[in-house]
Amino acid sequence: MRRLYVGGLSHTVTEKDLKDRFGKFGAVEDVELRTRKDPEGVPYKTFGYVNINISDADLKKCLTVLNKSKWKGGTLQIEIAKESFLHRLAQERQEAAEQRLQQPAAEDKRQKLLDSLSKAGVDNFTMKAAVPGTEIPGHKDWVVSKFGRVLPILQLRSQKGSKCRNLKYDPSKYSHNIRKLDRNTIPDEAIPVTQLTWEVQGGDDEISKKRRGEFPPCEPWRPKKSRTDNVSGRTRFEHPVNFVSHTEAHQLTNGFEKQNDHRLAQKKWRHFTDSDGDSEEEIRRVVAAQQTSHVPPQQQEVEEDNLEVVGYDFLAKSACKGDQDKDEYDSADTDELFASRKPPPAKCQEKHTPPTAEHLSGNNTDKKRKTKTKRKAGEQEEEDGSTDDEEHLTSRKPSCVQQKRGSSEQKLNKKTLVLPVARPSSSESDSDEEDEGDEEDSVDSCSDSDYEAMFSNVTHLEISLADLQKLAEEAEQNSNTVAPSFLGAGLEQETLFTSFPAEQPAPKKGSTPEEILAMIMEDDSSEDEQKKKKRKRKGVTSAPLPAFQGTKALNEVSEDKEEDDGRGIEVKKQKMNSDSPQLVHKQTDSKTITSVRDQNHAETKISDSSEQEEEDDEEEEEDDDDEEEDESDDGDDDDDEEEDESDDEEEEKGEIIKVMPPPDVLKKVTTKVCVNAEKAETESSSSSEEEEEGRVNSSQTVVNVKSAAKALPSSCSSSGKDKNEQQVISANGGVKAALNRETSTSEEEEEEEEPALPRMALGVEEEEERQRQANMRRLAAVQQRQKEAEEHKKLIQGALANLDAPVAGAGKHIVFGSEDEEDDGNDDGDQQRMDSEVLASRKTLFQDSQSEDEATGDEAAANKSVKVKAEVRLKSSGPQLFGGSDDEDEEDDSRFDIKPQFEGQAGQKLMALQSRFGTDERFRMDSRFLEEDEEVKDEDSETKKSLVEDDEDLEEEKKKTLSILQSVLGQQHCSSKTAGKAKKFKDVSALHYDPSKEEHAAFETKKEEVKKESKAARKKKREEAQKLPEVSKEIYYDVSGDLKTVFGQSKDETDQQEEKMNWDQKEEEEEEEEEEGERKEEEEESAPLLSVPSAEKEDSSGFKFSFFGDDTETGSKETAVYKVEAIQAPKVSWHQDPRFHDSSSEEEEDEQEEDEEQGNITANTTEVVMPSHTEFFFFYPDDDRLTEGPKLFWRVSELEEQREQWEERRSALRQEYRKKHKDARRKLTSSLKS
Amino acid sequence: MRPLTEEETKTMFEKLSKYIGENIKLLVDRPDGVYCFRLHHDRVYYMSEKILKLATNFSRDKLMSVGTCFGKFTKTKKFRLHITALDFLAPYAKFKVWVKPGTEQSFLYGNHVLKSGLGRITENTMQYQGVVVYSMADVPLGFGVAAKSTQECRRVDPMSIVVFHQADVGEFIRNEETLT
Repeated sequence: MRRLYVGGLSHTVTEKDLKDRFGKFGAVEDVELRTRKDPEGVPYKTFGYVNINISDADLKKCLTVLNKSKWKGGTLQIEIAKESFLHRLAQERQEAAEQRLQQPAAEDKRQKLLDSLSKAGVDNFTMKAAVPGTEIPGHKDWVVSKFGRVLPILQLRSQKGSKCRNLKYDPSKYSHNIRKLDRNTIPDEAIPVTQLTWEVQGGDDEISKKRRGEFPPCEPWRPKKSRTDNVSGRTRFEHPVNFVSHTEAHQLTNGFEKQNDHRLAQKKWRHFTDSDGDSEEEIRRVVAAQQTSHVPPQQQEVEEDNLEVVGYDFLAKSACKGDQDKDEYDSADTDELFASRKPPPAKCQEKHTPPTAEHLSGNNTDKKRKTKTKRKAGEQEEEDGSTDDEEHLTSRKPSCVQQKRGSSEQKLNKKTLVLPVARPSSSESDSDEEDEGDEEDSVDSCSDSDYEAMFSNVTHLEISLADLQKLAEEAEQNSNTVAPSFLGAGLEQETLFTSFPAEQPAPKKGSTPEEILAMIMEDDSSEDEQKKKKRKRKGVTSAPLPAFQGTKALNEVSEDKEEDDGRGIEVKKQKMNSDSPQLVHKQTDSKTITSVRDQNHAETKISDSSEQEEEDDEEEEEDDDDEEEDESDDGDDDDDEEEDESDDEEEEKGEIIKVMPPPDVLKKVTTKVCVNAEKAETESSSSSEEEEEGRVNSSQTVVNVKSAAKALPSSCSSSGKDKNEQQVISANGGVKAALNRETSTSEEEEEEEEPALPRMALGVEEEEERQRQANMRRLAAVQQRQKEAEEHKKLIQGALANLDAPVAGAGKHIVFGSEDEEDDGNDDGDQQRMDSEVLASRKTLFQDSQSEDEATGDEAAANKSVKVKAEVRLKSSGPQLFGGSDDEDEEDDSRFDIKPQFEGQAGQKLMALQSRFGTDERFRMDSRFLEEDEEVKDEDSETKKSLVEDDEDLEEEKKKTLSILQSVLGQQHCSSKTAGKAKKFKDVSALHYDPSKEEHAAFETKKEEVKKESKAARKKKREEAQKLPEVSKEIYYDVSGDLKTVFGQSKDETDQQEEKMNWDQKEEEEEEEEEEGERKEEEEESAPLLSVPSAEKEDSSGFKFSFFGDDTETGSKETAVYKVEAIQAPKVSWHQDPRFHDSSSEEEEDEQEEDEEQGNITANTTEVVMPSHTEFFFFYPDDDRLTEGPKLFWRVSELEEQREQWEERRSALRQEYRKKHKDARRKLTSSLKS
Repeated sequence: MRPLTEEETKTMFEKLSKYIGENIKLLVDRPDGVYCFRLHHDRVYYMSEKILKLATNFSRDKLMSVGTCFGKFTKTKKFRLHITALDFLAPYAKFKVWVKPGTEQSFLYGNHVLKSGLGRITENTMQYQGVVVYSMADVPLGFGVAAKSTQECRRVDPMSIVVFHQADVGEFIRNEETLT
């Protein structure tokens, strides 16, 4: 019977189907169908088992036919399966039964054998009194073994290698065959575990109980002692399950032998457990024991690797290490951090969408608002915004052109939105306003803490600017190939660049990338200007670090100003008969927006001009501009960077005006005019010819300004104006969309200006007109400055945007909070702010009046305006450092002046008193309070006295404690010191000879002196040689005298030396034993120094032998010299180890800590402090050597100085040489003569 | 409140020197002002002269504590350092032990430091040397006594005690009422 597996059945197959199917091949006994279902109860697999009586041939056939055949939608897979376990079980049982039946036959055979054996005298397989090894008669292969047992000889076939041979196993040769052949005694069944356990018989005493494994209930965990405890060794018993100690396991194992060596025992025991197959409980215990015995060593190894040993001077290594640790602690957090720091890329894309949405929508104001709020929400956009803002600015100016046409520009924009061309421009102006909105927000939001990070971003931005330049050039070549596809780009730079093309179509004139670039550059330069006031304008890329606060304040101020201006100009507009209800409405809505608009309004003309200038830039007439600059601006140390040009010009205006003396108003006016004229010329120089003319004109005007001639400048200005107007008109012509309405307004303006033209012919009115224009321009310049400030703001904002990025969700919060902050700031700085506002409004008023009343246009007003302008300039540039306006600064200046009543010591007291009350008017302190102060002072002095006493007490206490400390640390101190000493590294390289140090003079071999002396001596010698006969006697006496003195001296010297040594020793003793080693060194060092001269002295003094008497004299002199040296040598601190404290170094330290004079203790303390100065072989972070070392290489003096010195020296040397030469010659001649 | 007697000073310095060695001098002889030790209610307080003067305004029984408590003298006239002294011990400590993050908590609950929890140790630490215990992030956690020398620490098995716990910053919470 076979059991077949049938797989791949369809779910619909029934058992009967299967039975029919397989019935062809054989008799199907049983069919078993199974269906697998997934959790929902849908069957996915059906298979069956078929028990079939089949022949092999049929089976083969069946397999070939049915296997992999398709049946009822499934491919059959038939395999021979294992028998069903039930079937097998039945089979086995059957077999067992059969075996039982067969057994009797075997029994018979056995009986036979037994019978035959018994015949041979074998009873129950034992043959008594038989010698082992004897064969049983009649049975060849039975042999008598030990104890008379009869055992069969076994023939074993071994299959080693290729040979097959039989091994004969004679049991008689191998003793101890225990197993009996008797079947009944063979233990077939396994003995249950319970029967394997022993019962320990014994009394009820504790030990026996423990042997049995019955422990008192609350016994604590047994320490290792139990390991040596072998009491329970012989017994096998049941343990409490929770008893996990492996020592117990040992005990358990030792069923038979007493263990002495535990490790051995363990091995044995393992063997035992293997063979015995113990109960689960035991096995569990075994496992536990193994775990305890095996795992720990591994752990130990692992941990040994981890254990770190650090030196004494181990420092917590800065943040990086801490970071690592942090990572260890919570890597997830850091991951989160990283994730959050990633700039959200999607935002950039978002960023571009709002403007486009605006393009489509007609309702600007609402959208503006919305976008503004959007901006607030997505503060991180500002990183792009900063760059975009610049571009917006560029676009803003062109848009201004439209705005200029009338005060109804806003309306116009809205209406012209439908028109294709006007739309972009208007939208951009909108975006400008938005940007400004954001600016404020962002600038507010930026706090000081973000300041540094911000600047890192700024540098980044600068880099991008540099790139931008390049890209702009490329873009120029491509010539406005719009690439809107870039819009989706997530990267900052890309957006920065791509935003060009997106916005390029907007401005009608000068939409080339160059212009944009120029504008951007201009902005940058202007910012720098504000910061550094033209001197450092060159550094476009240099991010002005300290100015952050200043700019913030500046921005605030400028905002105020803007507002004021806006109001003023609003009025002006109304006078100009241009309906601006919407505009007013907007002002109420958002002042900043209106201010910007107003700005634009006021700027209109200037913006035109600037546009023209930009166009000029396009034509790359940098040189001309520069020339102009040079002409007009003398102090300007300017570069040739094109970016600065327009700014420069504006600045020039202001500068020139400033430079001029105030009474000469006319001149100023003319200068202004001339500058304007210049500008106009530059504007007009769209064609190169015109430009050249203009240049000539400008130069002329400059000349004329100085000569104060009116005619020419006026003509120039008129011409400039004409051109300007013409271009304005042309520009208007260029603007297609806004044409219809704008032209009308522009015409109006032209009309306004046209009357001016005839006036120009007239002398006075012409001047007025000029003034007016100048004022306008000035105003425009001021506003431009404001704009620049705003741009700067934007830059900062953009830089900050990166910062804000990680806290994307919190962006809103920051914004609003910062707004609040700003408000607070406003509250705080109320007074000053108000002042500044008032001032600003006044200014604007003046300006307005000037602009309005063209007819009046008096010189005084002009003068004032000039002043105002200067002030404004100052204002814009002033607050960079201290974050306050100029007025504030002035106030501060006055504030910082020491008021007379606060002068002197009494004044100080008074001030202290006053400071208690703050600036409260009611509690103003004056001299009346001084008397009291004096009393107070007396009291103070008394208290001071007591304090001094206290201090003394404390000082004493301190001394005492220090002495105690000394006693406490005494031995320890020494030991540690000596230990440290051995380690100390002596930096030989640190020893160097410094000729500039006087101390080191001791190390100079005083050859020169000797020479000099020898020279003198030679002279003397010569003289004496001449007088030889006479002097000899004296010399003799001298010698004798010398000898005496010399001997005496030498003795003295030796004494002195000894004294010296003693002194040294004394000092060293004072300096504690710790310096023992060093003293030796020092002695060694000083010894040669002492010994060498002394030896020489001995030579010279003790053994005075000379052929000539005069020699002795020199010798004595020399000894004198040496003497000095000998005494000095040890005193010089230099050649001793630097850390060795001789008098000089101690003095230095005393100087350092003069305030604490403590005699001996100071010495000790200094020594304690010293270890910080000790030198190690390796450099440590703030090593003195690192600071000292480079000084060795540095030039002490400037190269120039050195050269001068050298030259002096050279001349001196030359002179000397000449002298020598002369002397030599003279000598020669004299010798020749003689 | 009174200055310490010579005996007391000695006892205290001996104890302190176990941790910071001769750096005690830096405590006594500070450049930023005069600082002193004062005994008050058997506790030793370390304070600046300024605070000392301010404290004179309060009667002895009303004054809870002044300055920084360094420790107290036991009835047997031994000095026992308190955890409050850690701020002054930690920066000057000569011998330090860093414990692994896992063991930090255990230590802060007042347990000894086991070999398994030992992250780092100053070399040449002698047995029974006073050590300051740091976390691996170099935050001082407390102080104790080295149960094993550095060399021994290398060898011993992981469950053996390496540093005996003496005080830990957990006491600021656990013994809040007694810490002054």
